[in-house]
Amino acid sequence: MKLQMVGCSHHNASLEVRERLAFSPDQVATALEQWRISYPLTEAVLLSTCNRVELYTAAEDLAIAPSYQQIKQFLAEFHGLPLQQVFDDLFEQSGEAAVRHLFTVAASLDSMVLGESQILAQVKQAYQLAAQQDSLGPITHDAFQRALRVAKRVAAETSINDKRVSIASVAVSGFARNVFERFDDKQILVIGAGETAEEVLVYLREAGAQHITVINRNEDSAAKLARHYDGNAANWSELDAKLTAADLVVSATGATQPVVTIQRFQSLEPKRYQRPLFILDLAVPRDFDPAIGDCLGVYLYSLDDLQEVCSRNRAARDKELPLALGIVEEETNQFMQELYHRATGPIIRQLRQGWHGVRDEELRRLFNKLPELDALARQEISQAFERYVNKLLHPPLESLRDESRTGTPHSLLEALKRLFRLEE
Amino acid sequence: MSFLAGISVFCFAASYSVVLLLEAVRMFYWRGLRQGVTIGFAAAGLLAQTLYLANRAITASGTPLSSAFDWNLLGAWGLVVVYLYLSWYHPKTSIGLFLLPLVLGLIALAEFASREPFPQSHAGQIWGTIHGIFLLLGLMAVTVGFMAGMMYLLQSYRLKHKLPAATGPRLPSLEWLERVNSRAILISVLMVGVGFASGIVLNMVSHRIKIDEVPWTDPVIWSTAAMFGWLLAAAVFSAVYRPARSGRKVAYLTVVSFAFLAVTLGVRMLLPSEHGSQRSESGELPMSEVRT
Repeated sequence: MKLQMVGCSHHNASLEVRERLAFSPDQVATALEQWRISYPLTEAVLLSTCNRVELYTAAEDLAIAPSYQQIKQFLAEFHGLPLQQVFDDLFEQSGEAAVRHLFTVAASLDSMVLGESQILAQVKQAYQLAAQQDSLGPITHDAFQRALRVAKRVAAETSINDKRVSIASVAVSGFARNVFERFDDKQILVIGAGETAEEVLVYLREAGAQHITVINRNEDSAAKLARHYDGNAANWSELDAKLTAADLVVSATGATQPVVTIQRFQSLEPKRYQRPLFILDLAVPRDFDPAIGDCLGVYLYSLDDLQEVCSRNRAARDKELPLALGIVEEETNQFMQELYHRATGPIIRQLRQGWHGVRDEELRRLFNKLPELDALARQEISQAFERYVNKLLHPPLESLRDESRTGTPHSLLEALKRLFRLEE
Repeated sequence: MSFLAGISVFCFAASYSVVLLLEAVRMFYWRGLRQGVTIGFAAAGLLAQTLYLANRAITASGTPLSSAFDWNLLGAWGLVVVYLYLSWYHPKTSIGLFLLPLVLGLIALAEFASREPFPQSHAGQIWGTIHGIFLLLGLMAVTVGFMAGMMYLLQSYRLKHKLPAATGPRLPSLEWLERVNSRAILISVLMVGVGFASGIVLNMVSHRIKIDEVPWTDPVIWSTAAMFGWLLAAAVFSAVYRPARSGRKVAYLTVVSFAFLAVTLGVRMLLPSEHGSQRSESGELPMSEVRT
C-alpha cells in the first residue's frame, strides 16, 4: 500500500513555475482521465490552486505504484514541458509525510496567508473532481475525507482562522463583518484605483459584495478596476453623491491633503439619515479627516488601526500554531495506524474464514452423531464453538493490531501466512 | 408520574446558571468548550422546565398555569427557546451572556410571585387567556429587544474604539442586531397592545362594568398602560423619523422599553393592586385579595 504526493507550492516554486504547472478545473478532469489510462490500478487526486499544484497518488500494491520520476514526467508532459525544466521545482513525499502534508494543507497551515478559508473549499473540490473522474480509490478517499475533518477540527478547536494577518482581511473579516451581516445589498464605494484598494475588493467580492463603484481622479484607471470587479466607474465630481449612498467606503488615493474633510462630511450627514457607514481609510496621508470617526453611525478605520490589529493577530496566531500542528500530528498518526492495519485485512479475513470453516465442519459432524439434540442444545453448542474460535483468534489479531501501530507488519504477516498456510 | 413531582425550579435554574457560566468562560477559553455542551445544558434545563410546567398544568385544580408564578416561568421558558434558536444559528456569538440573566431574573421573580391562580369567571376565561398570552409574548419581545439593544451598544462601542472581535464576548453584526431591535419594537407594541386591550375587555366582561369604570388608577394597569404608551410612541417615532430606524437610536428605544417593563413588573410585585383578583358583586375588592 503506497500513498505519495508530487507537487510544487509557493514555498519552493516561483509564481512563473506555478503558473506553467497549474491546471484549470477542465484540465484537472482531462489529466485524471489520462492518469487512469496510464496507471489504471492506481488512485489519483489533483489539487491545483494559485499557490500549489499537488498530485496525490495511491496504490494497494507497491509493485504497481508509479515512481516519483513517472509522476513528475506525467505532470510535465501534460503541460508540454520538458521534464528537466520543472524537475527541481517539484517536491515529493510519501506515506506518513504525504498524509501529514495533505492535512497541513487542508487545515490552511501551509497557506501563504495562514488560516485562510479558501483552501478547504479547493481541497473539497479536488476530491469531488477525482470522484467524478473515477480516479478516487479507498486510500485517497479516506485520506481526503480525513483531511477535511482535520481542517474542521483545527477551525473549531483553535482560533487560527480568526487571526487574520493582512490589512485587507482584517478590515473585511475582522471589522466589516461585525457591522454588516451581508454585503450583496450594500453600496461599496472605492476611492482611488491602486493595488491597496484592489486587495480589499478581492475580500469584499469573496464576502458577496455586488454593488461596487470606483471613483478616481484618473477615470481610465477607475473604469479598468471597476470592469475587473463587475462594478461601475464614477466621475470624481460625483463623490458627494456616492458618499451619501455608500454603506462601505474603501479609500486609498495618493492625495496629499484629506479628500473628505469633516465639514464636507457634515454637509452630507443629513441626507444619510445616520445610516451606518464603514470607512476603510488605507491612504497615507489619510483621505478622511479623523474627526469623521466621531460622527454618529460612522466607523472609521485607518491603516494604523488595522496594522495594530494585524500585529496582535500575528502574535496570537503564533501561539495557536503549535496547537493546530498538534491536531495534524494526532490525526496523521491515527490515520496511518488505520492505513497500516488495513494492509492486514486480507490475512485476517483468510484466518477467520479458515478457522470458521473448521468450526462449521466440526459442528456438522457432531450434530450428525448426536441427532437427539434439540434446537436449544444445538444453539448452545454452536455458541460455545464460536466463543472458542474467537478466543483462539484474539491473540494473533491483537498482535497484528499492535504491530500495525508503527507500520505495515510485513514480517508478522509473512509468519502468519506460513504458519497457517494462507495464500496471497 | 412521581418523577415529575421531583423536578423543582432549582433543577432548571441550576442548568441555566451552568449555561451562563459556560458562556462567560467561553469568552476567555473558547477552544475546549464546545457549543454542544452549552446547548446540551440549556436543552436539559428546558426539558426539566417543560416537565415542571406540565406537572403543574396536570395537577392544577382550576385553570392550568394561571398564576403569576406560572406566567413568569412561561416567560422564562419562551426566552430559553429563543436562546436555543439563536445559539443554533449563531453558534459563535455570546447571546446567552445577555439573555440568560434575564431568564434567571424572571425565574427569581416567579419565586416571589403568587402561586394562587387568577380567579376567573366563565365569561372571562377566553379574554383572560388572550390577555395573558399576548402580554407574555410582549414581555418576551421586549426582553429579546433589550438583549439585542445591549449587544448593539456594546458592539458599536467596540467598533468605534477599534477593538478586535476577539476582545470580550462574541457578538452578531450591527446589521443583524438592528434588525432584531426594530422587529422587537414592532412585535412588542402589537403584543402588548392586544394584551392591554383584551385586559380592558376582560375587566368589563368579568365585572360587568363600563369602560369608564375600569380601575385606571390601579398600579398594574397604569404601569402597563405607560409601557404600551411608550412602545407605541417608539414605534411611531421609528416610522416617522428616519434616523430612528437605524443605528444606536433603535437600541436606545428597546433599552428604554425594557426599563418600562421592569417598572411594570416591579409595580406588580411591590404595590398593592386589585389586578387579577376577584371583586365582590358590588365591585369592591375584598381586603383579603389585596396583595402588598
